[in-house]
Amino acid sequence: MTEGADATVGREALEKSVSMPGLPGDNVVSVRGLTKRYGDVFAVDDLTFALDKGSITGFLGPNGAGKTTTLRLLLGLAEPTDGEALVFGRRYRELDQPARRVGAVLESNDFDPGRSGGDHLRALALAAEIPSGRVDEVLELVELVSDAERRVKTYSLGMRQRLGLAAALLGDPELLVLDEPANGLDPAGVHWLRSFLRSLAEAGRTVLVSSHVLAEVAQAVDQVMIIDRGRLVAAARLDELTSGDRTLEDVYLGLTARGPS
Amino acid sequence: MSAALRAELFKQRSTRTSLGLFGAMIGLVLFVVLLHGLGLAAGNFDSSSKQLTVLFGWGEVLGALFAALLGAMSITGEIRHGTIRPTFLVTPRRRRVVAAKIWASMLIGAGFGLVAGAVAAGLGTAALRARGIDIRLDSADYVLLVMGGATATALWAAIGVGVGAVVRNQMPALVGICAWLLFFENLLVGDIAGVGGLGRLLPGAAAKAISGQDPDTLLAPAVGLVLLAVYSAAAAVAGALATSRRDVP
Repeated sequence: MTEGADATVGREALEKSVSMPGLPGDNVVSVRGLTKRYGDVFAVDDLTFALDKGSITGFLGPNGAGKTTTLRLLLGLAEPTDGEALVFGRRYRELDQPARRVGAVLESNDFDPGRSGGDHLRALALAAEIPSGRVDEVLELVELVSDAERRVKTYSLGMRQRLGLAAALLGDPELLVLDEPANGLDPAGVHWLRSFLRSLAEAGRTVLVSSHVLAEVAQAVDQVMIIDRGRLVAAARLDELTSGDRTLEDVYLGLTARGPS
Repeated sequence: MSAALRAELFKQRSTRTSLGLFGAMIGLVLFVVLLHGLGLAAGNFDSSSKQLTVLFGWGEVLGALFAALLGAMSITGEIRHGTIRPTFLVTPRRRRVVAAKIWASMLIGAGFGLVAGAVAAGLGTAALRARGIDIRLDSADYVLLVMGGATATALWAAIGVGVGAVVRNQMPALVGICAWLLFFENLLVGDIAGVGGLGRLLPGAAAKAISGQDPDTLLAPAVGLVLLAVYSAAAAVAGALATSRRDVP
């Protein structure tokens, strides 16, 4: 038997523990009553949370729980049915130079296969009015310098993940939003990603990273939010959630259990 | 020049797509003009109107087609490959992106039209001369053919962007443009134009009118220009609205 009932922690209390006190709009991310409905299906259902500067937050949940939809709403790619999602106190689409404040990777393969990795970054840098020298810097950061002039169709999945990350880092943003960044990475890649995220947080960046693979996240994040069927079912610092001999996996399975399907 | 426009022009030249479209267009112009210029009986070329319709007009027709395809692909290609997401993350004011795609496509589309028109004019003239057929076009006709044709292809590039933004799915958008320009309009202008003459008000017919083709049936060039500009503006507005109001795929 799962220990679902024990693992379920009061939702209100948990929201508070992630939603640090501060002036309204002071948070890097603040989401309030966020709802997205497709027909009769609530992809995201009355979601409320806020993220503080300098934290790494794992956004966990089974496939189809609403993680990607939440991130798309946060980044202005989709309009909420109800509620609001703000970054730096404003709707994403109203940010002046969004690339300099928020970097995001939503899919691992958002590239034109016929364009080189370097040119992918150069096009984005032109649109964001970022000097082309920065393209070389981020290529170096993700270790793609020697592959930059090859077309993306020749890239491995891991290289594509790193290219996406490079694009997100172009504007040297304060907030990084990553959807399933470890998908398809080999163990060395996951290790590289973890230490990379760590170094970003140590530099004062805020990171929101979604995943359905707990092990990828458990060692890298400060706090977790668990979402299931569009609703936030837990949000807490990792050490609070896993107190005693409960592992993150126990908590997660308890909260998201649907029985064998 | 805006940052978004610089980015769009860079995107166009950093893949082989535009070059491929350009090459296909030139190939078709060469093929059609040589085929008709050398193959059709001399009786088909006994007036300037016939020479324009049967031979010289192909530059504008194929230029408009490929400019429209280029315009449509500038947005459906991004949707297909997912680059539309990073594009809108960097420029979240989506109408700016659509506007930049329209300007970039119009610039390149005008280039397509210039080259296609000049090749059709030069090659067509050479073909007829080689057969000893009199050229019925004067220099003003040539200027209108090439410059009017380039204007028409630029406007059709904007229509392509609008269609791509509304349809979003690449294959239906491209097939729709081809079917419209190569099939439906010919059907409507050619066969039903007699019924009320409404066929000449269609955007493909207006584009032909701008380059001086078939003046007996089609609108005057200036009227065609105004009409096609209205079509382009309508397509641009529809594309901008469709893009800013709907969720990004």
